[in-house]
Amino acid sequence: MTNIVLFDAINNVPVSKQASAHKLPGDLAMWVFIVMELSVFAIFFIAFAVTQRIQSDMFSEGRATLNASTGLLCTLALIVSSYFVALAVEAIRKGQNLAASRRLILAMLSATVYLALKLTEYVTLVELGFDLSTNTFYTLYFLITGFHFMHVLLGMVIVGYMGIKARKDIYSPTDCSGFEAGASYWHMVDLVWIIVFFLIYIIH
Amino acid sequence: MSRLINNVHFSAIILVLLTLISTLLAQSNIQENLLALLVTLSVVIKGQQIVDIFMELNKVQAKWRWFLLSYTILIPTILAIIIYI
Repeated sequence: MTNIVLFDAINNVPVSKQASAHKLPGDLAMWVFIVMELSVFAIFFIAFAVTQRIQSDMFSEGRATLNASTGLLCTLALIVSSYFVALAVEAIRKGQNLAASRRLILAMLSATVYLALKLTEYVTLVELGFDLSTNTFYTLYFLITGFHFMHVLLGMVIVGYMGIKARKDIYSPTDCSGFEAGASYWHMVDLVWIIVFFLIYIIH
Repeated sequence: MSRLINNVHFSAIILVLLTLISTLLAQSNIQENLLALLVTLSVVIKGQQIVDIFMELNKVQAKWRWFLLSYTILIPTILAIIIYI
């Protein structure tokens, strides 16, 4: 049997070795934290789905009080925010700290849109008389989205701190693992929301 | 423009388009099982884009990439199975 080894055209290095040479973006500790956070959210998601299966009428009525447009706009706001954070990482790797900080400001502005939309939705629901204790749907809805909301707030603090450090020109292309770790956390928040949006606003 | 930037741009467009399509499908009178299949598929693709392009795990050790990819594949699939089947 003949083994075929692909070589990179520029560096003349086997592609398999080249791929394994890349390290995990950011710190290992952040990735362990991300895995733990994703596991906690997975438990919430499965609890929501199982309860929906058991109490489908209650969940249909509860979901009817939510505005799908709000869910859509929240998703778009977080995608745009993640996009600017990814561009900021690229800028940092090129040594462009100022450009990175500007992109992080745009990411935070986009995340602020998400926060405003979510708060508006919470206020509307409370004014209509729905809260954590109304029924199982609202308990799980407020727990899941509220827990995610807290993660967005923490992410904004992290992104803000990264932006301040970038503006002070602290990062360099060879020393930016803290920046990468913060960016990875922010993308995790986006990843979780993609599933929240699917579970709470889309599936019916 | 570097390859990463191109990928990030492309990935963001895919994420936005899939989000819009999922919302439109949810608003339409499409058959329930077909809706479940399509929106689950869209979540899996969106998760793959975030993991591979935004988190840049397509360049690192396979075990990390596949751990997060399996999350984005398994969790939406399990949720759809619990709710619809």
